[in-house]
This record gives sequence, structure tokens and C-alpha cells, in this order.
Amino acid sequence: MSSNEDRKEVPRRDFLNVAVGGSAAALAVAGGYPIVRYLEPPPGRAAGAVRVGKVESFPVGTVHTVMVGERPVLVVRTADEIRAFSALCTHLQCVVAYSPESKQIECPCHGGVYSLDGRNVAGPPPRPLQELAVTIDEDFVLVSSAG
Amino acid sequence: MSVAGWLADRVGWKGIEASLAAHRASRRGFMFHVGGITLFLLVVQVVSGILLAIYYRPDADHAHASVERIVGEIPYGNLVRGVHVWAADLFVVSLLIHLFTVVVRRSFRAPHELTWVSGIALLLVGLGQAFTGAVLPWSEKAYTDARVGSEFARYVPLVGDWLHRFMRGGEDVDSETLAHAFGFHVAVLPAAMTLLLGTHLFLVSRRPVTPLPQAATAPTIPLYPDFLVRLGVALTGTMVLILSLAIFWERPVGPSADPRTPPSGGLPPWYLLPAHAILRAAPKELLGIDGPTFLFGAACVFGLILLALPFIDRRGSRLTVWLAWIALLALILLSFRALP
Repeated sequence: MSSNEDRKEVPRRDFLNVAVGGSAAALAVAGGYPIVRYLEPPPGRAAGAVRVGKVESFPVGTVHTVMVGERPVLVVRTADEIRAFSALCTHLQCVVAYSPESKQIECPCHGGVYSLDGRNVAGPPPRPLQELAVTIDEDFVLVSSAG
Repeated sequence: MSVAGWLADRVGWKGIEASLAAHRASRRGFMFHVGGITLFLLVVQVVSGILLAIYYRPDADHAHASVERIVGEIPYGNLVRGVHVWAADLFVVSLLIHLFTVVVRRSFRAPHELTWVSGIALLLVGLGQAFTGAVLPWSEKAYTDARVGSEFARYVPLVGDWLHRFMRGGEDVDSETLAHAFGFHVAVLPAAMTLLLGTHLFLVSRRPVTPLPQAATAPTIPLYPDFLVRLGVALTGTMVLILSLAIFWERPVGPSADPRTPPSGGLPPWYLLPAHAILRAAPKELLGIDGPTFLFGAACVFGLILLALPFIDRRGSRLTVWLAWIALLALILLSFRALP
């Protein structure tokens, strides 16, 4: 038996179906990939350390909300130190605030409660508030956006 | 020949009429009109949305003021925004009723698997429209919705981080988020919805509704004029309802977004009330997994089961119908639980 007789013939229609379908799929991938990449936002630029005010604008025993880049941050001044925490709840990122009545940090969305050192003490938040590095430079308070 | 006669001749109206009359529709039940009402509500949103887009400015510095201008200064602006907001709410209601009716009537069974899948995809796109639309006024509530809504996405397994950044248009909620939401609300999602809706309606027309066993002998009526005239009455009633709500039940824009100010304890949109109740009550950890991760993982599994329903329950068992009723009851109770 010759090798030509063993060869199975592919019908013209099947060949065209595969060729057209394959080309369409290749075009869809070639067109779709740049679109998906275009829609993906580029990585943001870190704001670095941001001046949030003079040391005397944060009296002892107060908590202020300031902006570091696009992010709200709590600046907590105690007798010993100045600390900064992201003001975003670790549960679902609602903005939290200091409650003078309870002397705690509270989230109004789902009832999360944090102590003034950022620990999650009640409600659904799974983690403490993210702490951000604080430095003092020529009487100004600088808060790092990177933690 | 009259103008109407000439027009009918040129578009071949007699053929269209005969073709429509040849189709039969169920005679009974308002529920058969819910799909048509959903489509109508979509059209109302498109028209009112186009009108709003003329005055709306999609950047963080001007968005809120532009919405306040539409409501306060532009003639009938308050009515147009009211119609858009209420039609959007009723659209979600209508989608959910439509979904529930399909499950209870077991209309998802073969050969309607693809109709079901395209319907669930439409529901997802509809919820995407609701989310992006809620962000656009850039009010205090819109800002919180943007933060919490995009944070939801982070918990989606495998693609969560990507989806989270994608929804925000970057790392944080800012002007980019608003621009992203606007682009998706007015272009990307409507295009996806048009495509899916076309597919859904095509499949519905190719595979008419599966009758219930007891309804196999129920009387039917011609699609045209009988069914479509009844649908027209239902749509007129829907429009009267939207206008009444827009006129008598104002939806305030609220104060402008301020990232430093915590939300004033307001509730999320009504369709997220059950999720709100669960999130408030859930412990920090469930089975060793942190609470939100567990809950969103469970929600994703539920979503996948819902999507695959026609393939899991091929014959449309009574158990599915019972589970649908129990789920409805649970959602209503959770919604009330979320209220203050």
C-alpha cells in the first residue's frame, strides 16, 4: 500500500472553517490584549513624606485627620509622641474618626472600634490600623505615605 | 394611498404583523411582562442619562457642583435626575423579580441554559451600572460607596487585587476613580449591556418560554396585538410610577465628598442591605479565615452556583424552588436587620 493512499484528505470546508476560526481567534487576542492592558491603571506614584503641619498644631491629647496624598490619615498626639495611622478601616476601608466621647477611633460603617494605638478592639475589623512613619523636621510633622 | 398606508407598504408592515400574530404568548399573569418592563426601564435610563450627561462634569472638583446645578438651576433638571435615579432603582428591582420568577417557574431548564447565563451576566452588568452611577455625584455617600464597593472587589478570589485597582482607576479613591466610573457608566457597561441584551432577546425569541407542566394546556394569546397591547398598559403604568416617585420622593444629592470626613452612618443602597447586615454582624474570623475573605469567598461560590444552575439542576427540582423562597425570605429579613 502506498503512503499516498494512507493520507486522509481534509475536506475543503473543514479546512476553511479551521482557518477562518483560527484567524478570528488570533485577531481577537491581538486586539483584546492591548485593550485589557490599556484599561489596567498604571502603578501610582508614592507621595513620600508629606508635611501635615507644625508640631504645635497638634496639641497633646488630640487626634486630627489630615490628608497624605489622596489618603486620610489620623495624627495622634500623646504626652510622649506623635503617631500616625491610616484613617481607613481595615474591614472595608470606610473613613474612621476619633470619638471624643469614647476616646476611641470608630468606624461608622460596620461598627469597628480601634484604640488610640491603632489596635482593633471591637467589631469586624480583622487587623489594626496601618501605622505610618512620622518624622519631625524643623518643627514640622512629616508623615510617610508608605508606612 | 394615505401616508400611513404608504409607510406600511414600504416597511412591509403586513408581513411583520402576520409574523408577530403567529407567535403565541401566555395569557395569564403580570409576571410575563416583567422582562418587558425591565427593558423599558433600561430605555428610560438611557434617555434620562443622555440628558444628564449634557450638564454633568466628570472630575472631582466639579462633579458634585454640576449635579447640584442640574437639580437646582436647569429647567426640569430635578425631574430628569429623579427619573434616572428611580428608574435605576426600579431596574434592579425588576431584574431581581425577573430572576426570581424564572427560578420559581423553573424556566431556566434546557434548552434555556444560555438564556439564563446571559441573564445572569446582564444582572452583573446592571449591578456594575448601579455601582458606577452611585459614584458619579461625588457626594459624601458616593465617596464611601466608591471606597467600600471597590474594597468588596479585593476579596474576589484570584483576580481580587487586579479588580480592586481596576475599579479605583489606581491605588486610591480619587479623581481617577470618578473618571473611570464615568467612562464605564456611559460607554463600556452600556455597550456590554447592549451586546448581552441582544443575545438574551435573540435566545428568548429562538427558544420560547418553557411552560410549567400544569400550564401546558393553558390558553394563549397572539403576541400582537393582544400581548403587546397589555404590555403597553404595563409600561404606561411603570412610567406613571417613575414620574410620581421622581416628583413626590426627592433623592437629595447630599454634601460634597470630603475624604477626611467619615460617612455620617448612612446605609448602603437598598440592594446591599443584606450584605451590610452580615458584614456588621460577622466575627473577625470564620473557620480560621478572616471574616470578609470568608464571606466574599462564600458569596463567589453562591454566584457560581447561581450561574451554573441550569447545568446543576437540569430538571428544575422542587428543592430549587423552595431554596429560592427561603433565600428571598432571608434577604428580606436581613434587609430589615440592617435598618437602624
